[in-house]
Amino acid sequence: MKDVVKAEKGEIFDIELDIDILEANRRLATENKEFLKKNGVKAIDVMGAIGSGKTSLIEKLVQNLKGKYRMAALKGDLTTTIDAELIARHGVTVVPINTGKECHLDANLVKKALRRINLKNIDLLFIENVGNLICPAEFPLGSDKRIVVISVTEGPYMVVKHPFIFMDADVVVINKVDLAKAMGVDAKKLEKDVKAINPKAKVVATNCRSGDGITSVVEALEL
Amino acid sequence: MNHFEALKVHEFSVTSQIVEAVLREAEKHNAKKVVEVHLDIGKLTFLGLEQVRFSYEVLVKGTIMEGSKLYIHEKDGTVKCSSCGYEGGFKYEDDPTYHIPTPTLHCPKCGETVEIVTGRECTIRDVKLLIEEGGKTNAD
Repeated sequence: MKDVVKAEKGEIFDIELDIDILEANRRLATENKEFLKKNGVKAIDVMGAIGSGKTSLIEKLVQNLKGKYRMAALKGDLTTTIDAELIARHGVTVVPINTGKECHLDANLVKKALRRINLKNIDLLFIENVGNLICPAEFPLGSDKRIVVISVTEGPYMVVKHPFIFMDADVVVINKVDLAKAMGVDAKKLEKDVKAINPKAKVVATNCRSGDGITSVVEALEL
Repeated sequence: MNHFEALKVHEFSVTSQIVEAVLREAEKHNAKKVVEVHLDIGKLTFLGLEQVRFSYEVLVKGTIMEGSKLYIHEKDGTVKCSSCGYEGGFKYEDDPTYHIPTPTLHCPKCGETVEIVTGRECTIRDVKLLIEEGGKTNAD
């Protein structure tokens, strides 16, 4: 047994620690992942810029995969359930998560939301993150795959300006490519920018209004 | 930036966990004051150091951490390549568009895809505490 250390008045103690603050979220994310796996549910985290088409992409994926998978979605937003209702109209269970002022979902919010779904009734879960190309990448949620969505209407520099989130992407969707010419944006250049940072990311160009490219997203996700 | 604006950045929630953890540690040791806090922050985290410092100042007010010095030590990340066995620092993108060198997932040796090993940590490494008279540490 170690001696009990008594301090004199005014003495300064140097305490060495090893407390990783982000580790707590990673541990919860691993728990979520195991919980989902145990219930036979694949989870896809959809991250991306504000207005890039994350919800439209999920809607189109739900339409495409109906019959093959029983699906549900968690929908993160600061406030409102507008997007959650857009997804719900396709007949899938949607749990809206309002983060208030937080700029991202975290593993704890996802854990809480998962209690609201009967996982026995589903085998594919979409988790739509808050629109943001920075913070969500810091907080893994326990998903099997992570998508990052950007669109040509945000201009030609979305990848080079936010390089870090693309390191975490399994699939990158470049949306609204039908508007590329009008925007003067080269989607191929955006793809090259992604590959420069993350060679293993699969890049797919889509038009989530018409559904062009959705089957390629399904393939890229190996669904 | 005022207090409520600070709430909108994710550094605020991370820093509040740092402050809570340090206060718990200080309580464990019956500390009267927290003098210094040393953090290791990996370069692959998305933490803005200025925002961490700002959030810290806001959060420690009125606690025994008020007036403490926050030292942030930035840590380079490391990667591992399963193709050639390389283990070490990142290959950086040297495109002049990037004003700060951007790490990539290309192996610096063979160019294949690498896995991230370190660089994502935000660790409280060390705290210096002023212990009350007759106080004792219960650390072990």
